[in-house]
Amino acid sequence: MEGNTNPTRRSKVAGLQDAARLALDALQDRPELCLGGLFKQGRPVALVRALLAAGASGLHVYSSPGAGYDIDLMIAAGAVEQVFIPGVTLENRLCPNFRSAVEAGQVTAHALDALTVVGGLMASAHGVPFQPIDALRGSDVLKHNPLIREIDCPFSGRRIHAVGPIRPRVTFLHAQEADRWGNLRHLSTMVYADQLMARASDMVIASVDRIVPDNVILDDPSRVTVPGHYVDAVVELPYGAHPTASFPNYAMDEDHIDAYADLGDAARAGDRAGLDAYIARHVTGPKSQDDYIEAVGGAGYLARLEAEARKR
Amino acid sequence: MSAAVSPLEQMVVVLARDLADGELGAAGAAALVPMAAIALARELHAPNLTIGGEMFFNPLPGRLYPSMLDDRALGRCEAAETFIELFGHSHHGLDFFFHSGLQHDAYGNINLHHVGGTLHAPKMRGPGAANLSYCHTSTRFYICPTVHTARNFVEKVDFITIPGHLSGPEAKCEAGLINEGPRFVVTPRAVMDFDKTTLRMRLKSVHAGNTAEEVQRHTGFDLGITGDVPQTPPPTDEELTVLRERIDKTGTLRA
Repeated sequence: MEGNTNPTRRSKVAGLQDAARLALDALQDRPELCLGGLFKQGRPVALVRALLAAGASGLHVYSSPGAGYDIDLMIAAGAVEQVFIPGVTLENRLCPNFRSAVEAGQVTAHALDALTVVGGLMASAHGVPFQPIDALRGSDVLKHNPLIREIDCPFSGRRIHAVGPIRPRVTFLHAQEADRWGNLRHLSTMVYADQLMARASDMVIASVDRIVPDNVILDDPSRVTVPGHYVDAVVELPYGAHPTASFPNYAMDEDHIDAYADLGDAARAGDRAGLDAYIARHVTGPKSQDDYIEAVGGAGYLARLEAEARKR
Repeated sequence: MSAAVSPLEQMVVVLARDLADGELGAAGAAALVPMAAIALARELHAPNLTIGGEMFFNPLPGRLYPSMLDDRALGRCEAAETFIELFGHSHHGLDFFFHSGLQHDAYGNINLHHVGGTLHAPKMRGPGAANLSYCHTSTRFYICPTVHTARNFVEKVDFITIPGHLSGPEAKCEAGLINEGPRFVVTPRAVMDFDKTTLRMRLKSVHAGNTAEEVQRHTGFDLGITGDVPQTPPPTDEELTVLRERIDKTGTLRA
């Protein structure tokens, strides 16, 4: 065998379009996509937009137990078949396209709860066939939840629940920093379920606001939240979570999300022109993250969100 | 205090008075009123009350926020956790929690999934909910919607997202709901509690400026009004001063 006299470690840094194609290919065999973050924080929205622009469809979408803008946008773009997220809301208002699509029977929204989703991810991350749950009682969600079964506890004999492994084919995460080997650092206060999802998934693609030198990681390894071992590709995307927040770098863009929701409400009322224009301008139009930043108002506009993020 | 007491301020004070020193609890999804109540209790009589169970401990926000799932709202906090620890808290339970929904019924059951139709063919699809466990693993919870109409207070919810007392003591026992469940309901109009025997909701007191007849008219089921209904004790000067000067400095509860 010819020895390689100068072996080099492979960088996991990828471009946005390449990352989207990698995800799209993987999702062809199993359309189970999982998104990190929670509601309006730490959502990998730039990766989601790129996946939509690449033509994703028929997706089964998982998330930490709460999501809003991104799942609604994916539904508006016609990419979603089933939603496995317990809480879907913009928090200050309902998700318009989610509502419309579920009410019209175009999308199936399963009735789930946080423990089912977290427990399923735990079973997958830990490599065990199921996770017992003993805290679900009295809710009609139990009659409809497709992911749980009743079992007898082998110790107490009591009837409890079990959830099988949730194994996303692809998980998208957003963190504030990574090195080129994919070691992620969340600098935000909360890390949501990102660490669990990274360990539960076949493939993990992360966006970060910036790539840092190797020494930043090596000098402070306890600050790594997701080891590069679990990460397949990392994309440097300034404002990659916009319009959701990437604390402490920038806050959520409530105005942008509200304006989007107004277009969704108009679409509910029968006028889809504004929503289609929004998708053309923000999802299918931009050829790069720089184009997107220009489309939402440029660096000057986004600087306001940076200032807002520093308010505590 | 110069400005009149707002309905949300009255709600905050009612809830704060029921939270005890040394307890562990969290605010839930609609956090504005519950977080103000927790903060007020900590300032006035419960300095050892721990805020925990929602992935952060003892946050110190600079002002009130509508959602705590926001690093600005967390402000500085003593520690952060993840959904892995939330899995454990959900099983162990807290001392108190808060809920509100699209519909609330006569037994304190809460609906966040759909109004009309069925789950998979809904007339109106709601947001659903993440945590369905704290309502019964916790010692008790409070129902505190910020609107009170005959449309969101209905005899029977279309879907039980969060179980309250189900259809009464028997059903509650059969479902294995062993804790207190919803202790009381506070809205911008009134306080309701539950009959000890039947576990049906009944009017307990009306806030200043409301009458029992008005509250009944804005409720879609019989509130069991028999005699005179007392007025909800209004905020004391101390409660209002601390609430406005230390917790709600931006006047969110009066907006």
